[in-house]
Amino acid sequence: MSLATQIMVVDDEEAICEALEAWFIKDGYRVEKAGSGFEALERMAQVYCDVYFVDIKMPGMDGLELLGKLREKQPDADVIMITAHGSIQTAVEAMKLGACDYLCKPFDPDQLSLLMERVLASKALREENQVLKEQLMEKRESLWDGFIAQSEAMHQVFSVIEDVAPTQTPVHITGETGVGKELIAEAIHMQSRHSEGPFIAINCGAMSETLLESELFGHERGAFTGAVKARRGRLEMANKGTLFLDEIGEISPKMQVSLLRVLEEKQFQRLGGSQPITSDFRLLSATHRDLPQLIRENQFRDDFFYRINVITLKVPPLRERLEDVPALADHFLDIYVQETGKRLEGFTQRALGMLMAYAWPGNVRELRNVIERAVVIARGKIIGAEELTFLDSASSDCRLGTLTLHEVEISHISAVLDTSNWNVSRAAKQLGIDRSTLNRKIKRFQIERA
Amino acid sequence: MAVSIIAANLQAVAGLNTNILPSVEPPDNAYVPVRGQFDATVIIKKLAGLEDGAPFKLGIMAQDLCSPILSFVYGESQLGGKAALVSLHRLFDDDPELYYQRAAKISLHEVGHLLGLGHCWENFCIMHFSSNIAALDSLSISFCPACEYEINRRLSSIVADGGLVR
Ligand SMILES: [Zn+2]
Ligand SMILES: [Zn+2]
Repeated sequence: MSLATQIMVVDDEEAICEALEAWFIKDGYRVEKAGSGFEALERMAQVYCDVYFVDIKMPGMDGLELLGKLREKQPDADVIMITAHGSIQTAVEAMKLGACDYLCKPFDPDQLSLLMERVLASKALREENQVLKEQLMEKRESLWDGFIAQSEAMHQVFSVIEDVAPTQTPVHITGETGVGKELIAEAIHMQSRHSEGPFIAINCGAMSETLLESELFGHERGAFTGAVKARRGRLEMANKGTLFLDEIGEISPKMQVSLLRVLEEKQFQRLGGSQPITSDFRLLSATHRDLPQLIRENQFRDDFFYRINVITLKVPPLRERLEDVPALADHFLDIYVQETGKRLEGFTQRALGMLMAYAWPGNVRELRNVIERAVVIARGKIIGAEELTFLDSASSDCRLGTLTLHEVEISHISAVLDTSNWNVSRAAKQLGIDRSTLNRKIKRFQIERA
Repeated sequence: MAVSIIAANLQAVAGLNTNILPSVEPPDNAYVPVRGQFDATVIIKKLAGLEDGAPFKLGIMAQDLCSPILSFVYGESQLGGKAALVSLHRLFDDDPELYYQRAAKISLHEVGHLLGLGHCWENFCIMHFSSNIAALDSLSISFCPACEYEINRRLSSIVADGGLVR
């Protein structure tokens, strides 16, 4: 633990200042004390502090006002509010204004030491991020907007897209549910000659056959009960653009014939109409199903299949490219941080280890949901293993054999520590290493007690 | 009983000569009625001011202790100072051996602070901070080599004659 961490305690009650100072000094921190907000601002100009503990109720300048000034002068400062019972509402307010946590006095010794661990982990992460930022920027610039991937597997997908996008060739995208097939389709559209035209998507699996038919072809007024107005179909809307048929494996053989004709003749009629309508679009399709298998079972027409499947693009499942997980997790974290206004800066090593040890049956979509949930329940500035415990319990059978040695090490050490109830001597013996080696690993990997 | 076991441990583990003194009453303002506990920092100040020749004083109490910020403390001490305090209140266990072991650990820990030692990051070391009873139980009754070295260094510069106040 860094001896250099400088803490400032701001409280008008001297006993509180002294008690906190005594605790922090024994724990190896350097401490400045201030009896008022004004004094704190004066002291901070002389001594750089990493962490501020600020009492909410103070005469003169109260804690919230000081918080605002601190955040203004030192945006990266960690400010922890100290509150008494009954003013928790104010503490919550302070969190919205950028405080990173609060303590309700008197607090348990556990709370204080856990809080400090969290604050320090987040500080270390921030410093690390600073270094990694430039490298990361370089990497990200080579990706398209909306695409976060560092794996070789995804870069192969990208290079196929770059090759096929400018052509008019139909592309069939396969991959498990949740891998982001629609995003891939959009990316192809954006890089095609029709990028100025419309991108029209329809999920064929989400509606009945009659509804799908009228959605695709449109209808004339009175074509069927309920058709009170004429309506353009998606085929028509996709003119000079891209039509994306998602879950194409779900459409009936009859509809396949109708669509096959449209693709061959580039012409069709609205339901209940007789006027031929011409539409020029590029067809993209996707499915999570095994179409060749459906063909063998006579569920899918092979002539239609060959028409849509000129080029197949297989999007690998997330478990085959776990190296994309950290960047994706960061990306979703950014999204939900903006949405919720919470101040979250990243993940602990242990949390990342858990994310990378999971098989992601629901793929990127599941990861997105998991991050959203973690952001909602997170307290403090960093997402730790606590926020992902539901992942651990829900997924023990989804854990993988495809971890790197490093990840296996972290996960095994954590497991042994947990079963030995964090008796380091016992855990070290079981792991066959000496205690100081184990302690070093715990510190280096930031392994936390579950 | 607890007091003599603590004294024996201070002597055996930390190498401190220890005398057991007659008990004294805590100051009136040490009791915090709303919390039903005694404020350790107030008692320690009183203890440090007692003139009886001992350079270090360790108070042992049966009642529950707290501090202005913490809901409870097992013990409290002045870092590099004169007086420390331990409460047996939360250490009790049906197994007397475990109970006395806890009392000895907390006492050694607080005396370590008196000698100027801060918290240690070695998980088994007696100077490692324990925020709950399970963490306390996982400590060994010994100082890690680094802390032990430090204790000996401090003791050699102070001719120590430890005193105990009950
Ligand atoms: Zn301590
Ligand atoms: Zn130690």
